[in-house]
Amino acid sequence: MAARGQRSAKRRSGCFLVMFSGVKPDKRSKVKGITQLGSRSSSSSSHSSNSNTTRSNSSSGSGGSSSSSSNNKGGGCKSHSGSSSGSSSGSGSPPAGTPPHTQMASHESLNSESKSSSLNSKLGHESGGSPSPPKSACSSTSTTSTDHHHTNHQVSHVLTATSKMTVRDGSRTLRPDEPPLVPGEQLEGTAREVTYLCPYVGPKKGTLSVTNYRLIFRSPETDPPFELEVPLGVVSRIEKVGGANTSRGENSYGIEIFCKDIRNLRFAHKQNDSQYSMHLKRDMHISVFRRYRVRHNFAGYGASQTSEENHSRRMVTEKLLQYAFPASHKLPFFAFGYNEQYQERGWSVYEPIAELKRQGLPTESWRITRINEQYELCETYPAVWAVPAAASDNDLRNVAAFRSRGRIPVLSWIHPESQATITRCAQPLVGVSGKRSRDDEAYIQHIMDANAQSHKIFIMDARPSVNAVANKAKGGGYESEDAYQNAEVQFLDIHNIHVMRESLRKLQEVCYPHIDNSHWLSNLEATHWLDHIRCVLSGALRIADKVESHKTSVVVHCSDGWDRTAQLTALSMLMLDGYYRTIPGFAVLLEKEWLSFGHKFAQRVGHGDDRHQDADRSPVFLQFVDCVWQILKQFPHAFQFTEDMLITILDHLYSCLFGTFLYNSERERIEKEVKTKTVSLWSLILSNKADFENPLYSANTKHHVLFPRTSMRHLCLWDKYYCRWNPSMRQQEPVHIRYKELLHVKEQLEKHVDELRKELAARQTHDSPRVASAIV
Amino acid sequence: MNSHRKGTPSARFTTYIDFEEINDGLTTVGETVPLRPIDVPEETNVDEEKIEPHLLPGEIMIARANNVLKFAPLKANRTGISGTLFVTNFKVSFVTSLPVETKERDMHSRSLQNRFLGVHDVCLSEVDMVNQFSEDSAKKKRLLYNTQMPPRLSGLQLVLKSLRVINFSFKFTPTGEDIRVAQALLHHAFPTSIDHLFLSCGYAPSSPGIPDFCRPADWEHELQRTRCPNWRVSKHNEFFNLCASLPTVLVVPRDLLDAQLEQAAQHFQGTRPPVWCWGTPAGAALVRMAQISPSITDKQQENRMMGLVHRCHPMRLQPKIFDLDQILPSLKEIQISYIKLRELHTPDDPTQFWEQDRHYFSRLESSRWLSHVSKCLEVAQNAATAILHQNSSVILQDASGCDLSAVISSLVQLLLDPHVRTIRGFHCLIQKEWVALGHPFTKRLGHTRNQVEEQSPVWLLFLDCVYQVSLQHHTALEFTSEYLVALWHAAHCSLHSSFMFNSVSAKYSASDVLQRENPQQPIYLRPVWSWWAENKSIIENEQNGSDEEPLDCKTSAREAFLNVHYIQKLFKSLAISGAVRRISDPLSSAYHTWQHIDCLMGETRQLPYDPATPIVPLQLDGSLRLDTSLSNLRPWLNCFCAWLSEPAMLTLNDSESLLKDSSPASHHWSHIHEMYNTMKDLLSQNLTNGAAQ
Repeated sequence: MAARGQRSAKRRSGCFLVMFSGVKPDKRSKVKGITQLGSRSSSSSSHSSNSNTTRSNSSSGSGGSSSSSSNNKGGGCKSHSGSSSGSSSGSGSPPAGTPPHTQMASHESLNSESKSSSLNSKLGHESGGSPSPPKSACSSTSTTSTDHHHTNHQVSHVLTATSKMTVRDGSRTLRPDEPPLVPGEQLEGTAREVTYLCPYVGPKKGTLSVTNYRLIFRSPETDPPFELEVPLGVVSRIEKVGGANTSRGENSYGIEIFCKDIRNLRFAHKQNDSQYSMHLKRDMHISVFRRYRVRHNFAGYGASQTSEENHSRRMVTEKLLQYAFPASHKLPFFAFGYNEQYQERGWSVYEPIAELKRQGLPTESWRITRINEQYELCETYPAVWAVPAAASDNDLRNVAAFRSRGRIPVLSWIHPESQATITRCAQPLVGVSGKRSRDDEAYIQHIMDANAQSHKIFIMDARPSVNAVANKAKGGGYESEDAYQNAEVQFLDIHNIHVMRESLRKLQEVCYPHIDNSHWLSNLEATHWLDHIRCVLSGALRIADKVESHKTSVVVHCSDGWDRTAQLTALSMLMLDGYYRTIPGFAVLLEKEWLSFGHKFAQRVGHGDDRHQDADRSPVFLQFVDCVWQILKQFPHAFQFTEDMLITILDHLYSCLFGTFLYNSERERIEKEVKTKTVSLWSLILSNKADFENPLYSANTKHHVLFPRTSMRHLCLWDKYYCRWNPSMRQQEPVHIRYKELLHVKEQLEKHVDELRKELAARQTHDSPRVASAIV
Repeated sequence: MNSHRKGTPSARFTTYIDFEEINDGLTTVGETVPLRPIDVPEETNVDEEKIEPHLLPGEIMIARANNVLKFAPLKANRTGISGTLFVTNFKVSFVTSLPVETKERDMHSRSLQNRFLGVHDVCLSEVDMVNQFSEDSAKKKRLLYNTQMPPRLSGLQLVLKSLRVINFSFKFTPTGEDIRVAQALLHHAFPTSIDHLFLSCGYAPSSPGIPDFCRPADWEHELQRTRCPNWRVSKHNEFFNLCASLPTVLVVPRDLLDAQLEQAAQHFQGTRPPVWCWGTPAGAALVRMAQISPSITDKQQENRMMGLVHRCHPMRLQPKIFDLDQILPSLKEIQISYIKLRELHTPDDPTQFWEQDRHYFSRLESSRWLSHVSKCLEVAQNAATAILHQNSSVILQDASGCDLSAVISSLVQLLLDPHVRTIRGFHCLIQKEWVALGHPFTKRLGHTRNQVEEQSPVWLLFLDCVYQVSLQHHTALEFTSEYLVALWHAAHCSLHSSFMFNSVSAKYSASDVLQRENPQQPIYLRPVWSWWAENKSIIENEQNGSDEEPLDCKTSAREAFLNVHYIQKLFKSLAISGAVRRISDPLSSAYHTWQHIDCLMGETRQLPYDPATPIVPLQLDGSLRLDTSLSNLRPWLNCFCAWLSEPAMLTLNDSESLLKDSSPASHHWSHIHEMYNTMKDLLSQNLTNGAAQ
């Protein structure tokens, strides 16, 4: 139990984005099912692709580079460089990860692996001086090679699962050149002597590997080695930097990777002269880097480049582009290859009928319909709806004709006592001529009538009223209060996806890589990010207030009803219903309000798509999660999960490791057989529930309604997400960590007290004369 | 006095009806929130004669107005409660039998003057501005003590120094009473001299046991505790003949003769010689020094004093001199920032609130307050580093030697000295650096009307710095930021003498004046620390207007003031193996830890915990490091917005099902209590067993 606790703590520390060397694989080794098979394949694949990279020598690329060798000094590196040079005389075969090679390599690898790992562990011991020497890791790795693979693999599994991509520019102790891979992952290319230009700790030289899932950069320069792992799903665009005409300094050639998770990575290909590397090795101080970099800008660069090196780099770049944008390269998402086994089956967390039944449906006034079973009436809606019982199927069809994209008002949530409801839909097709639909008007009336408590209904239009009016020109618009009796239309003033995208772009400029302290607050304000958060939150609050306090039903829509509407309904449901604040409940909320009702994740995120300027991309979901975080921050006892779960969800929104967020609608997911061919994110979360659980959660808040404060001064930037790459941003120790410590202290204390009591009782029965001294 | 009988049954009166609807600021959404009455209590036959404020001994009632409406803050002057308004020579008292807003009750229970003031009472010295407003126009007009009164006042707005706004309406008040109340208020709230403030009340303060640093023994104790060599206590200022802003006792270099001291003092501003205030066993001393008088061009004495500090160091290391006037914002800049801060946090109505809120961050930034805080923290951090890592003495020099040097000196000690992070140590620190060494509170906080241009809330700046420390080091301080808020509020209440005077000598003379005026009555000047030792409120329960509040505010305030994470740390050291076993052994550290816990948690024991004898020597082990960049500082919302609740966006605030903000520490407290009880059980069992032996 203790081991498990420790493990989970470690894993959580992974979530905190800084991964220093204290990773203890031995503690993790007992997690389920990865066997030697997996580990063998992981080690072998690294070898095979090593040979691949060297074999595919064709022409040298434009990217600068230089001689290899020289910098390898660790034992682990040596063994590898040996193996790669041995097979370097290959021909130009296409660089595909071919199974025969992996099989071959796996046999011989075991021995060399064990050697290298023990060497490496020795190295680790000798060089010391790191903040927390990775003793346990070393001792465990040096025992047997299989054990080592096994544990290493577990590390990868666990970390990938929760937070691999959240590795900040910190470092971890894993052997260089030996990336632990997740099941289904394959090493596709490796480039040596690449410099990662870290904006915080200066350039790092090391090896860049690309798999079909992520890129891995390792630098043995520091102890423990510096490591960076980024799932390729987060890549938004890749740009080549430098060229023939740019100044020929070191680090002037390379690639810049723009990520969706508020950071950019820059890798330089250009190798600098040996003098520089000597200095590099001797002094890691950042100021020294700067000094030398300036000098070398004038020094020019030597042209001794082996075409081999160049080639491997070119190939890595190619592979990077290929696997970062699989959709543009007609490749499947990695999620279809990922075959991790989890205890829990995440796909079964949400059953539409069960969730409606939980809400008490069907009732007298609400029925469940399968009219959209074949996604014919509305292709972006789910198969199962809850609609007013008074409306016939024919009515539904008529209403669908009057609502944009057939997205008619459908039940999201019903108040268990007052029967006041939240329904969601798209805008009515009013147009410039002010069209009306008797059926739609009657339908809204049915929704109102289904709630006996109120003779009024609110229609919340999420847009600013100007935009709503402007939409009339495009055939849309909003309900006129003349046509809809007893309805009051309110505009919630939330801006469209383009405004939000621009706001996030500005926010990234402010947060990454460096923060301008003197104008931090005004810069932050100028991004309007928090302003938009405030709008969304207060809109949701208004809906929750109408339902809870006024017992009035609310219809929510924006233009299409899949962006702002999803934000509003999901947030107000989160405020109103404590079930959604549990871990499975939150999963249900996302599955229902976001996924099944067709928030276009694929378009908004741009999964695997290289059109980074696509106007359909927008951080709508991120904004929603930010709002959840703001509420969580104000009510730390009301949520079963911690912010770590939110960060994990956001990370896997981009990672494409899980099938959950792929594609735009339920229909598309059914077509692509996502449920059978990929793993659900909820499998990961539900299987590791303990890691995401909030110890402060008190279950009796389940029956309460949360009305968060929405003034600007009570909102703050989610620095643990947006500023997590920046080491100068102080990360506050979350209160739930201290609470866990408190529980531990209490347990210990009670143990000691009990021991003492027992001792005391024992002595008393023996009537020993030493009783008094024993106590005092 | 209490024979007023006016027509309206004031106590049952709830009003909002007659006030025109004002846009509540939600113009963006275009919703008008319907009026909702606040709950009207059951018909209670309140006898008008009973309505009378509770007076402290020596307190005199001056004016009274009936049927006054007190508006809930930021409710757009629509919902108010009716009562009677009194002005005494000590406070503005609003008496009503209607229930109190939860926010006000919470704040009241967490104030250091709740023993003496009712929930609707405001000490006169807290009043910062008095404005006149009328309901038909948005304009408000500031009333000064010499303003010509209009014939009729429709409303009065009090802006308090604690960034609180209270609105009273005289719409239903009999003519004449409004003017009388306003005049009394203006006259007594802005006295010409500090001894015109109501400074004493006839209850002897309980002894809090905090040294006042006016006796030689206190300073000797401090020298012994820090084991800082080569400094001595001088009593040369016994009659304040040397310097009026210093206490009678001061610590000076050992080699400095009293005659030389006197000679040197003449060269400094305010004839204030440099004084030692803290040091380390290794010999690094923290010295506060005023600038050379502007009339003196000769720097010889200044150099000589610096040379003496140099020689005091056992290793003869060169002291580091921090010229605070150069590196920190001036007093005037601090005041300008504060005024902007005040504007930002005292909106008149919801419209203004939301308008300000939209630009809250940029307005906060343009006030530059946080950048001042950042600067102070940075300088303190540098000074602490110099002492800790270079073992060099530090001389903090500012114009008067008692403003910014007090901020930095206190912060350095907070960062380096673990004792200062306890409640008791913090009290000692403030008593030493601020009260005894003469921070001019009267001038800086504007307790009297004459010194407007010398106002500057240096004290608030310091408290904000401490707040930032508490944010960055959750477990380091024994007290919470709530306590810091209470200290800021307490600095304006004349009941606490600690923060009223310019210096110790000013306190003595004010006390003399009071004694001469009331020869038959004993004069008690109450230090703010006595709150911890006082157990009984002298305000009757019924005055609070509600029955559901038994006066357990002591315990609730204690929990609000004590840092639960600090106590957790104490328990943690008990939870290591073997510690519990040694808990009754007075020589073990576990024994002292338990005594400490028992003092914090026990019902009967008085705070703060005093490790007392023998002197616990200073240990420089856990120094705190700060991150002073602006992006890592946070606005001190629970001070600036202490009274400012968000204007209701919602129509219903008191739904049963609504989850009220519960303190994030409440879960922690319940476990801490359980652990405490477990330990107590064990100990009592042990004792009975011991007795049986």
